Amino acid sequence: MTGRHVTPGASAPHQADHARRIWGFHRLASRVSIAVVAGVLGILAVGQFRGQAGAPALAALSATDLTQLIANLTAGNDQLRAEITDLRDQAAHLTEAHDRGETTVDELTGDLGRIRAWAGLTAVSGQGIAITVRGQLGGDGVEDLINELRNAGAEAISVDGVRIVTGVVVAGAPGALSVENNAIGDAFEIRAIGSPQILTGTLTRTGGVIAQIGTTYPDAQLTVTPVDMLTLPATDRTLVPAHGQPRL
Amino acid sequence: MSVFVARLRALPSVQVTLAMALLVLGFLIAAQIAAQGPRIRYSSEERSPLIDTALSLQAQRDSLKTEILGLRQQIGQLEAQDPGAAESLRRLYADLEQARLAAGLIAVAGPGLAFRFEDGSPGSGVDALVSAQDVRVLVEELWLAGAEGIAVNRERLAATTAVIDIGGSILVNSAYLAPPYLIEAVGPPDLYDRLQGSVAFVEFVQGRVERSGLSLSVAQLNSVDLPAFAGTVNPRFARPEPPGATP
Repeated sequence: MTGRHVTPGASAPHQADHARRIWGFHRLASRVSIAVVAGVLGILAVGQFRGQAGAPALAALSATDLTQLIANLTAGNDQLRAEITDLRDQAAHLTEAHDRGETTVDELTGDLGRIRAWAGLTAVSGQGIAITVRGQLGGDGVEDLINELRNAGAEAISVDGVRIVTGVVVAGAPGALSVENNAIGDAFEIRAIGSPQILTGTLTRTGGVIAQIGTTYPDAQLTVTPVDMLTLPATDRTLVPAHGQPRL
Repeated sequence: MSVFVARLRALPSVQVTLAMALLVLGFLIAAQIAAQGPRIRYSSEERSPLIDTALSLQAQRDSLKTEILGLRQQIGQLEAQDPGAAESLRRLYADLEQARLAAGLIAVAGPGLAFRFEDGSPGSGVDALVSAQDVRVLVEELWLAGAEGIAVNRERLAATTAVIDIGGSILVNSAYLAPPYLIEAVGPPDLYDRLQGSVAFVEFVQGRVERSGLSLSVAQLNSVDLPAFAGTVNPRFARPEPPGATP
């Protein structure tokens, strides 16, 4: 605050009025300054927090992990784009059929067959691989194989003749394996439909899932064979939820 | 010294407040510039462009998934509006809805459980990180206990879903998910009792979760919302067999 020398004997009311005006101006200026500084402070604080919140987990990944993530996302996005193209075609056909006043039985039937096959409700056939398992292998080892097959793009999988769909788990200790309440012996076959090259390459690569299983279960022998034509059965399981209701 | 203190006391509180605000402002500006520094330096290294690419691909993925869900909804509405709504056609449409429900292509809600699965305290080593294997074991136990549908961080698990490790995080349906993981399951009202009755689940909690210091909490809910699966359902290799065909 600026100091002001007041001469004794000067007009007191006038000085008081002048001082009030100056003090009022100073108070207003201070408030505006504080408001401006607080505003800038707020913007900077938000910027700082946002900057720190962006991609926090990605920043922790190594270059190798990031490359793997990018490869996965790229492949996944390509599949999603292909799905969108198909869905757009389907929607266009349905719209045209509606415009012409035609029924869409063929569209519905085709869609139904495709979804049922994908879900495991109907038998499917195609090229893929067969994995022959001999020796002691635990349920976790079989589940690791199934997970890796899915990761490599397997479209349908069966274990010892049982279709693997949502909810089906191969469980049990070595020698006591079971799937869908069916006991599995020490020798059985896992079948998967998909690209034989990709499936085989993914499973058998150095340090891959088969190598890892070999460390945990040294007595288990796994043989991967590409097959031109496999047929996998439909599931016996009821997949429509009994307790969950559609949320449209 | 006493003169300095006296002068300081003579300062109005407004000026002191302003000075402190400016000090914080200066600190924040310095922090902001310092934060920009490593980013600028990183641009010449390999990781920064990779992070940008991954973020961009994730954003694209979210957008594609939204489009897929929208198109599926549109197709469902077009099918339902079919002008020739004969009995056979209505049955076909109902079958289609059931197939979509069975495949996880429709969002569902029902009684269930919500697990929150978190890493142990920082610096406790790799063992204290929730791995894809941990998530898979919990998911498998939920399936065995009778779960009808499961989602991990809002990614619905389907017949083709893989859960794999990537760094200290996981990929589900090719989506990058970071901890904490929210694992939601719809199932029978006694799902939790069934789960607790599983020897393998108890062993997992005692032998892995508690031993490694992971955090696993659960809530029993009257209604759990599971999203629809938004991935591809167009097989390239698998062809449906005619009805009645046996392998």
